[in-house]
Amino acid sequence: MRLATLLASAALCVPAAADEMWISNEKDDTLSVIDIETLEVIRTIETGERPRGITFSKDFSVLYICASDSDSVQVMDPETGEILHDLPSGEDPEQFVLHPNDRHLYIANEDDAITTVVDTETRTVIAQIDVGIEPEGMAVSPDGKIAITTSETTNMAHWIDTETQELFANTLVDSRPRHAEFLKDGTELWVSSEIGGTITVFDVETQTEKAKIEFEVEGVHPDRVQPVGFELSNEDKTAFVALGPSNHVAAVNPDTYEVEDYILVGRRVWHMDFNADKTLLFTTNGVSGDVTVIDVAKREPIKTIKVGRFPWGAAFRPTN
Amino acid sequence: MTGLTVRNVSYAYGEKRALDDVSFHVPQGAFCALLGPNGAGKSTLFSLLTRLFTTRQGEIEIAGIDIAKHPRKALAKIGVVFQQPTLDLDLTVHRNLSYFAALHGLSGRQAEGRITAVLERLDMAERATERARDLNGGHRRRLEIARCLIHVPSVLLLDEPTVGLDAASRHAITKHVHDLSSQDGLTVLWATHLTDEIGPDDQVAILHRGKLLDQGICRDITGGAPMQDTFLSMTRAAS
Amino acid sequence: MIDAMIALRAILIREALRFVRQRSRFVAALVRPLVWLVVFAAGFRAALGLSITPPYQTYITYEIYIVPGLCGMIMLFNGMQSSLSLVYDREMGSMRLLLTSPLPRWWLLFCRLLASTTISILQVYTFLAVAAVYGIDMPWIGYAYVFPALIVAGLMLGALGLALSSAIRQLENFAGVMNFVIFPMFFLSSALYPLWKMAESSALLRDICALNPFTHAVELIRFALYGQFNAVALGWTILAGIVFLGFAFWGYDPARGMKRG
Repeated sequence: MRLATLLASAALCVPAAADEMWISNEKDDTLSVIDIETLEVIRTIETGERPRGITFSKDFSVLYICASDSDSVQVMDPETGEILHDLPSGEDPEQFVLHPNDRHLYIANEDDAITTVVDTETRTVIAQIDVGIEPEGMAVSPDGKIAITTSETTNMAHWIDTETQELFANTLVDSRPRHAEFLKDGTELWVSSEIGGTITVFDVETQTEKAKIEFEVEGVHPDRVQPVGFELSNEDKTAFVALGPSNHVAAVNPDTYEVEDYILVGRRVWHMDFNADKTLLFTTNGVSGDVTVIDVAKREPIKTIKVGRFPWGAAFRPTN
Repeated sequence: MTGLTVRNVSYAYGEKRALDDVSFHVPQGAFCALLGPNGAGKSTLFSLLTRLFTTRQGEIEIAGIDIAKHPRKALAKIGVVFQQPTLDLDLTVHRNLSYFAALHGLSGRQAEGRITAVLERLDMAERATERARDLNGGHRRRLEIARCLIHVPSVLLLDEPTVGLDAASRHAITKHVHDLSSQDGLTVLWATHLTDEIGPDDQVAILHRGKLLDQGICRDITGGAPMQDTFLSMTRAAS
Repeated sequence: MIDAMIALRAILIREALRFVRQRSRFVAALVRPLVWLVVFAAGFRAALGLSITPPYQTYITYEIYIVPGLCGMIMLFNGMQSSLSLVYDREMGSMRLLLTSPLPRWWLLFCRLLASTTISILQVYTFLAVAAVYGIDMPWIGYAYVFPALIVAGLMLGALGLALSSAIRQLENFAGVMNFVIFPMFFLSSALYPLWKMAESSALLRDICALNPFTHAVELIRFALYGQFNAVALGWTILAGIVFLGFAFWGYDPARGMKRG
């Protein structure tokens, strides 16, 4: 009995430092922090209005939050949950990407058809680039030379030279592009199209379309199969693609561009992120207000965790 | 008292009386034919004798054991052949016998010895490995008779065992069972409605509409006339 | 005591041999749930709904939901079939043979029940193996945990069959049992839909399902398949089993007669 008490108090003194998954709740104006060991929500933190895209700095010392309806990117201390300051972001920032230099944020301003580049150290806007209508998806190549903005209404991927902060190419994709990622050491660019129901694969060298990935979930109407966010597993072995209101995540083989599996998750799955060794994948399910944890090796859902209303973004934070 | 004794037994299915104050005695080693037309109450009597059900009116003694007071001891003394076939057709002759032996607590070498003995007694030793399904009707019946001997009962109860058999098989089975009483000293109660299965020295109990019309040695009852005629006139008179 | 064990062993061996010989019976027992799984459940591939109820921790497809119910279905059919065939079919004689053994009658009936439960369990494991090949697999621990759950569920459903076979004269054939026992028990349970889904259509329906012992047998199996223990389901299943068994022993009491003699 006494021993148990001792052990319990010892455990309290030295909290087991489990890694965390941070989730932005679009409707609740909060962040939910999930303990990756116990798969339970351990903290809920208030943010600005309508938090969507979230990303940590390279050393995980600060969290950048797109507070869309507050028209700012907030910078948070993840230890205390305090907002340190806001960054100028342009209006209605929805999604952003941090440049490999850990300093420049490329922000999509949905209402203004602009991509804003912010220097996080000087907290100043260093460039604003006119792009298509309703920009959303953002990506930067691993070498940092190319930034991509996709525009929902213009249905284009806009290629930005990060030296000059100017567009050097515009390529058409299927209807309503949502998310973009560089693969295979930056030789391929993938862009998901929500309404088109496809992922378009570009050859980065030539900016030409190389392949198109299509999805078909058994028992689900094709209109509801809407690819949105996607992430790559270790060594780009598998691409996991959130398929929105089809309530499934697709597992795509990036070499053959074939869909190998569909994994059932919550309603209107949106974005996702992995744990440290990429053995677990956490998907945000907007309509059902929860996060599904997927066993990456088995491609099976193992648990669904209730978070706030309309979870949107996910960002991994190691704690040791 | 040994043999089989039925004393003042009555039984009713609700309102319908199936047996009405039936009494008779079969001495040890005797062959008694329970003769009666269909619906006379033979099957009900057999159910009471095998304790499928019990009655409060009357007493039944098997080899001197009261079935109501010591049911399991009494059952251990009975060998039964039911009117319906009760073999597992998909199993071998030997399996059928060893299953039954086990139901009576026999296993291993003891059971094997008994199985060999009863198969030899019924001239079926060479059929031990055949599937019951592959036997003809007569042999299936003979197997059931062999089976009911496994636990060395002292009273055999056979409920119309020759139904559906051809003349030759009927004859063979009737003879086998007569031998069991005359040579092995078993008490036999043989229900039938076929008079030609009864020998002049056999005991007869005639059952009709739940009542016992007569009982005794066959030749005494018929007075030398064919059993068939006596039986028909008796049942007609009772109607 | 030794006699009782010899008889038990013989009855188990007999059932096992009959089961092996009657391949058509085995195939039929397997085809029925597989048809449900492949044809019926495949039509509802998408998520069952919004609630995640224990023992599930995430959204599941309907196919996954229905598997424990189909395990229960196998045991329900088997329990009814093996008990009722004693009375109705060609097995009538073998029941008589069994009951003329000089062992206590309740023990003989219990042996028979244990034998039919053993067969049910074999069938369930075969079904689970086929389901796993089809792509619906359980945690490994679940396949072990489900074993005791299947024993309890199988005995309870077999006892129900025995009780019915002794008691109800009107159920003249297996079709009657299908209509008046198996179908209501199966459909008014959590086998096909969870109770909260039933409640959406009618609270009364939900209450009926919650009282149905088959629901508890299915839930016991469902939790066990996921390595979890459902004490309430176990309690209700055992209670129902004892009641049915008591009824069966009473029904086969020789003083009550064997109605179909």
